[in-house]
Amino acid sequence: MTRITEKTRKTPALDLYRRQKRGRLWREVVRHRSAYLLLAIPFVYYIIFKYGPIWYGQIAFRDYRALDGVLGSTWIGFKNFLTFINSFYFWELLRNTLMYSFGKIIFSLPLSILLAITIYEATGTKLRKTVQTLTYLPHFLSWVIMYGILLTLLAPGDGIVNDVIKFFGGRPIDFLTNTKAFPWIVILSDAWKEMGWSAIIFIAALMGIDMSLFEAAMVEGANSWQRVRYITLPSIRPVIVVVLLLKIGTILDAGFNQIFILYSTPVLSVADIIDTWVYRQGLLQFEFGLATAVGLFKGAIGMSLILFANWMTRKVSDTGIL
Amino acid sequence: MKKNVMTIVLAIMLAMLCALPVFAQGTKESAAASAAPVKISLWYGAAITEAGPPPADWVALQIIREKLNIDLELTALPSNESDQDVKIQAAGAANNLPDVFMVRRDAWLRLVNQGLIAPVDSLYAKMPVRTAAQYDSASIAFTTVSGKSYGFASPGSISKNEGLLIRKDWLDKLGLAIPKTTEDLAKVLHAFTYNDPDGNGRNDTYGFGAFLEINNYEGGLGRRLQPILGAFGVEGTWNLTEANAGLSVRKPEMYDAMVYIKSLVDDGSIDPNWLAYQKDDFRAAWKQGRFGVMREQNAAYAATANYAPFDKNFPDGEWIVIDPPVGPKGHSSVGPYTTGYRIYAISAKAAQAGKAEKIAELLEWMSSDEGYYLLGWGVEGVNYVKDANGIPVDKDMPLGFSTATGQTVTQLRNMVFFNGDVELYARYPKYVTEVSKKEMSALDVLRDMESRKWTPNNGGDTLPAPNADLKRFYEQGLAEFLTGRRVLNQQNWNAWIAEFDRVGGKAWEDAGIAHAKANNLLY
Repeated sequence: MTRITEKTRKTPALDLYRRQKRGRLWREVVRHRSAYLLLAIPFVYYIIFKYGPIWYGQIAFRDYRALDGVLGSTWIGFKNFLTFINSFYFWELLRNTLMYSFGKIIFSLPLSILLAITIYEATGTKLRKTVQTLTYLPHFLSWVIMYGILLTLLAPGDGIVNDVIKFFGGRPIDFLTNTKAFPWIVILSDAWKEMGWSAIIFIAALMGIDMSLFEAAMVEGANSWQRVRYITLPSIRPVIVVVLLLKIGTILDAGFNQIFILYSTPVLSVADIIDTWVYRQGLLQFEFGLATAVGLFKGAIGMSLILFANWMTRKVSDTGIL
Repeated sequence: MKKNVMTIVLAIMLAMLCALPVFAQGTKESAAASAAPVKISLWYGAAITEAGPPPADWVALQIIREKLNIDLELTALPSNESDQDVKIQAAGAANNLPDVFMVRRDAWLRLVNQGLIAPVDSLYAKMPVRTAAQYDSASIAFTTVSGKSYGFASPGSISKNEGLLIRKDWLDKLGLAIPKTTEDLAKVLHAFTYNDPDGNGRNDTYGFGAFLEINNYEGGLGRRLQPILGAFGVEGTWNLTEANAGLSVRKPEMYDAMVYIKSLVDDGSIDPNWLAYQKDDFRAAWKQGRFGVMREQNAAYAATANYAPFDKNFPDGEWIVIDPPVGPKGHSSVGPYTTGYRIYAISAKAAQAGKAEKIAELLEWMSSDEGYYLLGWGVEGVNYVKDANGIPVDKDMPLGFSTATGQTVTQLRNMVFFNGDVELYARYPKYVTEVSKKEMSALDVLRDMESRKWTPNNGGDTLPAPNADLKRFYEQGLAEFLTGRRVLNQQNWNAWIAEFDRVGGKAWEDAGIAHAKANNLLY
């Protein structure tokens, strides 16, 4: 094989080859211009909103002063990170954040898979559509409206649930301001709100299963449970793994909107998460460097976890996203 | 070679031909620019948050453009105070503040420290009418940092405009007298909770109604519980008396107050929803007859639209303002009061762009007769007429300033009002309620509330605020004692105070006292 040296690199033949290659690429781009035009929209979006802000990420390492700008502010190393890690409530924030993230995965994911399978297996078309519509509608409600609904249901004085408890002679429970009940309210209300919406991706995956597998299983005498166990679940396993991996990547995002609306002073010990702390400490106290540092911290943890989980799942099931 | 030179010469000529009109136009434009209106962006706090912004063809904008040569761009700030801070601080972080904007003091101070706000000392003299109406030495001191004033402090909400209210009809029905002491109050609250004061045969009422409403000078359990804390002498975040200056939470009497409030909670005499309520929930609750004692604001209680639902639900119902209860050591207070201000600041960027004097011109016009009535009530004959006493009224006017449509043209009234008599009479007219035909006046209620016993706390809102972690520790701890998550006894209380100090409570108190002394706030 000829070794390419500085001398051979300059040969007219190689130049010609390169020009032809570039020409071919350009011709390909022109030929598929509509596809490339479509690609341009998300490309611009990512440049502006995702890659552009990376430049400003450096304020995590600076004592950011707006007048001095990003480049003019003084470097302070890891001081912002240390402020966060040494915060009085750091471990509690981390514990709460992980608790809600894992809680939501543990409850929401199986529920949405179960719902998807139930809808898929249901025979009545009208019933199936009605259930599907009713279950994904709450996704479109804001957490402000959800708070109103929860207050109507759970308020200790006149909530419907407490009215029932009182009717049966029980003592009313202060669900929204009780540290034992609050985490369950957060996790279950999130599951209720998002279950139907999350099920859509699994229903789509279920639609792709080869029907002949079910027919063969039925011929062999498999009952519904066995069909679900041996055909349905293994068939959608790659989708489950991908969804799980994506959720693990954002494990430190425990749902700012929800917690911010629902939490109150008496339940701060179990409700305060990293994002609500950042809101109070970073945005309300004008500590933008600190808020950015926590964002970077979350991103780094998320990326590490996603790489680890991806490696694990590849080892176990040969499925992954990378 | 010759060909190449020709090409270059042609290119240069072409470029010059293209550029010439640009230069020419530039000259023309710069001449025109001096005559063009000055663009000024204003972020304002809406007077009526539930109403929309002024219409695009609002006559005030036209007058401002024609008379002052100012193109005013208006943006309403969010109604929620935290959201206001976030919006302003995010703009500040990007060095993209509007030219002039309303801002809360905490956020304002941070922006001053960042050098993002311009000093305005020289502008007071350029606004003689406005300065005479709105700014005095106290308001200028409110915005003064290191000897310079960094904003205009306009009069804010009226001080002492809240009071302790009780359901007189419930007292009468149960044969009870108006409570004078904390002991009496506990008995009345118990009776309101368990003796069916509304006579509907159901156990669905409570004694005391509240929600957590916390600000700089009414920290901890917030504004709604101040009359009870006042009975123990620990109302307000800060005690500003010379002899006993410091944080109320660190006073021994605070423990006694907590024990008393806890006894009410344990008895079930406080509406159990109080910790989950937001302001609107609380206000909806008293209108539905859920509780019989509360601290409420004069207009939120007695203004026409606010009283109407209660009047409809309870035509025989009657709230009256009472004195705050007297505690075991003779203390009594509705709560602390301070002079409320709204700060309007000019961004350093606007000042650098030479807009400061134009902004002063705008503010001075706002306080002129023309601006004052136009921004305060709208157009005479359309949105209001003046009665025999010169008070703007809008009875039977379809676009009246109190109607849903008319309200939009008064959204900037907080920039011109100074709580003068004309404003108060116009804002709080006497009226007869629709169902019970009672004569009501939010102004009479205000005067009554002002006459009760209050604790002076001027400057209490300017004292240093706790950092986010300390604030959480403080508020969460008090709430946990009341909900039973922490057992309230002297030993636990002392341990909690020691931990509070360790987290930064003592340092906060020291900084506050030092600030109060340096600024002559102690009395």
